[in-house]
Amino acid sequence: MLHRRMNTLIAYPAPSRPDADLPRVRQAPGHALAHIAFRGRADGSTGLADLYQAAPLRVLRPRPLEAQVAEAVIANVGGGLVGGDRLDITVAAEARAHALITTQAAEKVYRSLGANVTARTQISVAADAVLEWLPQEAILFDGARLDRQTRVDVAPGGKLLAAESLVFGRSARGERFARGYLAEAWRVSRGGRAVWADALVLDGNPLAVIDHPAGLAGAGALSTLVYVGDDAADLLSDAQDMAAAVPARAGVSLVAGVLVARVMDRDATVARAAFKSFVCAFRARALGRLAALPRVWSC
Amino acid sequence: MIMITTTTMVTMTTTTEAALFRLMTWLSPSFPVGAFSFSHGIEAAAEAGLLTDRAGLVEWIGGVVDFGAGRLDASLFRLAFEAARGEGSLEDVVETADLHRGTSELALEARVQGLAFLDAVLASWPNPRLQALAAAARATGRPVAYPVAVALAAAAHDVPLGPALAAFLHGFVANLISAAVRIIPLGQTDGQRTMAALEPVLASAVARTLAPGPITPFSSAVMVDFCSMAHERQWTRLFRS
Repeated sequence: MLHRRMNTLIAYPAPSRPDADLPRVRQAPGHALAHIAFRGRADGSTGLADLYQAAPLRVLRPRPLEAQVAEAVIANVGGGLVGGDRLDITVAAEARAHALITTQAAEKVYRSLGANVTARTQISVAADAVLEWLPQEAILFDGARLDRQTRVDVAPGGKLLAAESLVFGRSARGERFARGYLAEAWRVSRGGRAVWADALVLDGNPLAVIDHPAGLAGAGALSTLVYVGDDAADLLSDAQDMAAAVPARAGVSLVAGVLVARVMDRDATVARAAFKSFVCAFRARALGRLAALPRVWSC
Repeated sequence: MIMITTTTMVTMTTTTEAALFRLMTWLSPSFPVGAFSFSHGIEAAAEAGLLTDRAGLVEWIGGVVDFGAGRLDASLFRLAFEAARGEGSLEDVVETADLHRGTSELALEARVQGLAFLDAVLASWPNPRLQALAAAARATGRPVAYPVAVALAAAAHDVPLGPALAAFLHGFVANLISAAVRIIPLGQTDGQRTMAALEPVLASAVARTLAPGPITPFSSAVMVDFCSMAHERQWTRLFRS
């Protein structure tokens, strides 16, 4: 029964809620939690070491793309985030784990009446573990307020490919992220020592920065990827070639041993396609994986 | 009564002049930090056709000051200045300034100039307070980024925060204009008109940074990051960023 339900959730995109000019508050602000830990088994496969979930987050375990890479899909059954919500996700790749974690759908961040959505993601990767954190985009409705931090710590010898993506307004209906607040922050550590951080803030009048030629140059969507691993420097040149090949603005740099890539485009659909093609090429090259993403990404 | 007032005024004037001389020297284009070799992505932006004229340059640099490296470094400048006076953690500022660099060349820009600046000031204006601050900053094991280095020197030499920050931002903008005049290219007069046009942007950046309340370092000039990334692979380069 539970298995059926998971497959249903994975196979079809969640029905979109009827459009309304002013999104309703769908739930009382809440504190959503998910903790997922993977550990390698003696036979080389990877299994769950620990799982904790609190509504409205649910962790699904679909059949993975590749047998040796465990997958988890985080679903927000609440249907979106409203001001005041808090989302805490911790992910651990323990000894010898090979795992990929994504989200079931793009996360809608509704117009806020004043409070921020607070999203905190904490990722740790052990010395001989490989983790991919590839959630789908957060869609910032006009008036949304999102304060998101992604903190990662990778032990020497471990590998992490992590990305966060943003869509500025529901472009299909001509909406732009014209009012609201965004703080998108990263902090990357290696063996407990911070090596790279980034903070992007749009406050009050987001379009002043989104439409500025030195800001986001009219972007409808932006993805930031980091790759942390002992071989990051060796991958720079190939990653730059991959960035040059995608049909959107894309770039790569190596800062303090961390490979940092960005992808953006005026058209959110183009940005998403470019992000996917970059990630597929990169995970194949860096991790020896299939040049593909979990099925939830193809919706 | 009159005597006392006069004495106070003379003392103040002397301090102010010394502070002014130091600011003018430290933030002049000839101060040996190698500022002339960094374009902060402008060389790549021009190569990509994003910067072709004076109006575009004013807008671009205005953005960099409002929400890019100018914003980030102004915030770090204030935090470092306050930390030098015992308000806040110097280690935290040094770390934040080291971590928040979007690309390898932007990191290089902050690191090289910070290192050269501290060495030059310590060598030519010996000052035990700056010596102690520099030692504490370096004890973090991290390079001291340029805005932090200048703020520490200003605080140690009793240069007030407002003028020091204004001079720092002015020097940053003047250097970008100088690079752009050579790269785009623009006439010298257009360069000076760009500076004139950006004065109000600089003034409001200083005012915003000095406004009471907590301050969060960030940079949202994503296109500067993209240009800097492109610059790493640019075929013909005159600049190091």
